[in-house]
Amino acid sequence: MTQSQPDAGTLTDPSSRSTEFVAVQGGGETTSAAALLVTAYLVMWALLLGFVLLSWRRQGRVETRISELEKSLAGGDPQRGPAD
Amino acid sequence: MTTQRDKLFYGLLAATAGVFLYLITFVFFKAPTAQLQAGGLAQKIFYFHVPAAYAMYLCGTVCCVASAMYLAKPSDARDAIGRAGAECAVVFGAMMLSSGPLWAKKAWGVYWTWDPRLTTTLLSVLVYVSVVVLRAFAGNGEAERKFASALGVLGTVNLPIIHYSVLKWGGNHPTVIGQGGGGLKDPRMVHALLVGFIAMTMLAALLLWARARLALSISRIARLEERAIASGELDY
Repeated sequence: MTQSQPDAGTLTDPSSRSTEFVAVQGGGETTSAAALLVTAYLVMWALLLGFVLLSWRRQGRVETRISELEKSLAGGDPQRGPAD
Repeated sequence: MTTQRDKLFYGLLAATAGVFLYLITFVFFKAPTAQLQAGGLAQKIFYFHVPAAYAMYLCGTVCCVASAMYLAKPSDARDAIGRAGAECAVVFGAMMLSSGPLWAKKAWGVYWTWDPRLTTTLLSVLVYVSVVVLRAFAGNGEAERKFASALGVLGTVNLPIIHYSVLKWGGNHPTVIGQGGGGLKDPRMVHALLVGFIAMTMLAALLLWARARLALSISRIARLEERAIASGELDY
């Protein structure tokens, strides 16, 4: 069914590229598309996970800074307990 | 102690995870494969690539509004939201710029071309990167904050240029939805895209919220330290 369709990799003229998406049934697909699809999803999730991990680490540093601040304030004035 | 705001955050987190799980399942198992000229199986990148671009616009807009408000009347909260907007815009921009070339390799035969939309998008992401780098390495002073805010506004001015660049200057990047585009010819494709938009909106809200809270906490600690040092309660 897809024999009549030219391979996308050989297209050089932008005007001949698709401006709509239509569903097709099976055939003509290469494994490279699946690899590209999986790679794209993995890269996107890796970026997101990296951002969340960086935020987590930064949150940890903020908590450490708060603890140090509390200790310093409590150490400077023995009458005062750690701030709640 | 879990506050009402924390409960809302965790509720939104759970809902976002659920929507993403549904989106991934639907895209991989239910959404049909598109024609080869559109990338075939690789066209399924579209359901994350376009919503990621939209999320970048959203975060860029938040950055622009908060930065403009900060320039008009400085406050820690406005600065924190502007900073969070720039950081999230970089993340979504990176998601878009990494997924797009992989799809383009299949659909166009090349990973990258210097066409107007791609170039203006890269430029915009680089402006947000500069805001993040400036805030990370140039300190937390008033001048640095204002300069970063001005950059945040500048980055967002570029966003409408990205959107209309294809219509004005042509280029390789096709317009599928909207003016001149043929649209999505299968209702399952439309459904997948709509769910993608919802998922990315929720994710953007979550990330913006978390990063703004973090930035605000850092500002508050810095001010507390300054006050403690000034009053002699802190030695360093």
